[in-house]
Amino acid sequence: MPETIHVPAMARVEGEGALYIGVEDGSVKEIRVDIYEPPRFFEGFLRGRFLQDVPDITARICGICPVAYQMSAVRALEAALNVNVTPQVRALRNLFYCGEWIESHVLHIFMLQGPDLTGHESALSLAQVAPELVKTALHMKKIGNQLLRVIGGRSVHPVNACVGGFYSWPDAGELRALVPELEWGLEQARAAVTWAKGLPYPQLEVDYEFVAVHREDEYAILDGNILSSQRGLLDEADFETNYLERHERRSNALHSYTAEGKPYLVGPLARLNLNHEYLGENASLALKEAGIQFPLSNPYKSLVARAIETVEVFERAIHLIRQYAPGGPSASELTLKAGSGAAASEAPRGLLYHRYNLDANGLVEQAKIVPPTAQNLGRMEADLWQLAPQLLAMPHEEATLAAEHLLRAYDPCISCATHFLKLKVYDAKG
Amino acid sequence: MPKAKLLVIGLGQDLRGDDAVGLEVVKRWQAENPEIAEDPEVVVELAPLPGLSLLSFLECVEAAILVDAVQSGAAPGTLHVLEREDLASFGSDARSAHGWGVGETLALGEDLYREKMPEQVYLLAIEAGSLELGSPMSAAVQEVVAAAARKLQDLAMQLLAPHLMPETQRASV
Repeated sequence: MPETIHVPAMARVEGEGALYIGVEDGSVKEIRVDIYEPPRFFEGFLRGRFLQDVPDITARICGICPVAYQMSAVRALEAALNVNVTPQVRALRNLFYCGEWIESHVLHIFMLQGPDLTGHESALSLAQVAPELVKTALHMKKIGNQLLRVIGGRSVHPVNACVGGFYSWPDAGELRALVPELEWGLEQARAAVTWAKGLPYPQLEVDYEFVAVHREDEYAILDGNILSSQRGLLDEADFETNYLERHERRSNALHSYTAEGKPYLVGPLARLNLNHEYLGENASLALKEAGIQFPLSNPYKSLVARAIETVEVFERAIHLIRQYAPGGPSASELTLKAGSGAAASEAPRGLLYHRYNLDANGLVEQAKIVPPTAQNLGRMEADLWQLAPQLLAMPHEEATLAAEHLLRAYDPCISCATHFLKLKVYDAKG
Repeated sequence: MPKAKLLVIGLGQDLRGDDAVGLEVVKRWQAENPEIAEDPEVVVELAPLPGLSLLSFLECVEAAILVDAVQSGAAPGTLHVLEREDLASFGSDARSAHGWGVGETLALGEDLYREKMPEQVYLLAIEAGSLELGSPMSAAVQEVVAAAARKLQDLAMQLLAPHLMPETQRASV
């Protein structure tokens, strides 16, 4: 039983913050997950900016998921202006998002959580014994990167998305040239599901409220209504009345709870549980072959959900490139007016909600950004409480790793704009 | 595909105080040395937070200079020039501000793709003070941008020397 668990620095997490587990007289007295949160800064920073600056500014909140921030932003701003985008623009946004999901999911599966499940300290030590696995992962990731580069003009902080559509249509030939690579990636993603299914996951079954964007015609990423396993279907605009943010004195990040004050889960596990019927052909087959039973409620197994989603986005990207037929203006015309608009899309880590209030000149009066990791903070703490009896029964080092692994399974990423995550587990005696 | 002779890459997040310095130094160097920066054998990139994507940039070049903010405990504005073998000391403990540290990324590239990695890699590192979101670069760091850009030019000339030399003299190098 650990009196004190102390880990000086936590690896393989994108973000800045701390985990406190207070142990006193052999029982856990306090658990706190604190992650500092740049989106709060950005909400202030956006005030007074012209609406068309918003997608490029919000893209800089995160180096791993700039597309998610752009897509929730442009859709919320379009809702405020009552602008509809063309089916071609919607399809290209969907494709753009596939590139980001490929990059982010592959990184997490193989380089961040994968080492935990294969008994490695890091992707570096995994690469020592399984170089081909890590090379395959880096190659898959690079395909996502190339897709972002062709559509977004550059791979890091892409610049082509705007309110109304895109500044220009990407070259059809350049996109089609990526199809053989994407087909290779699809095969690798199928193999990754098999690999993921065979890994030794720790036991933990949690009774979650799952929340995700939902559509009846595809596995929702870009747009749709909001579906909760507890409260059914909600309009995007009703998100804020059902899910509230609360300031916790101990943290400078807002924590999200349901209107009843309970934590809820967003992310791959929530999406797969709520939307698995809408997966494409290959991902459905991968799901069937993996023999997954629903509800899938072991947080560590979000890695399996990510692997199945990786099949989905490779498959979808191939389909969308084959259908790609740019024509007409790449962006709808905007007519400025005062108003408010909200939208949610699925960042790789979960539902990302934006709302903007605009004045008559198109300047932002108020911005609200609710990122997935902030929504999951309460859930991470609740899961750790559920894990606490197991932690106390483990030797010191194993308990520490198990707590870290649980948090890493969430792929917490407030922002790559932040850096050091300092993990402190203290003994309440001092 | 033939490799370019030199990659100069500025890393950083320009909304985050001194973390912008890698980008600023490369921009200044580009403006002051267009004849080198625009040479077709030289690839110049400004990459906020590239993480592991850094490997994709490194694959295509013979030599690379990475310009980045670091925190190692020295006084803000201190310039460090690190070579490949020194980079271990800027690994996961004293990491650069980009999640996947530059040291870790290079180590992974060396392990997996030794043949694709550039022969020579320098890290021109500028010690950062404040990395607060929304704050400008600190005075101590702003003051060294010009000196860092000159240092960058020295390193670039050193790495490009064989390439810049007349054809007849190259064989003897």
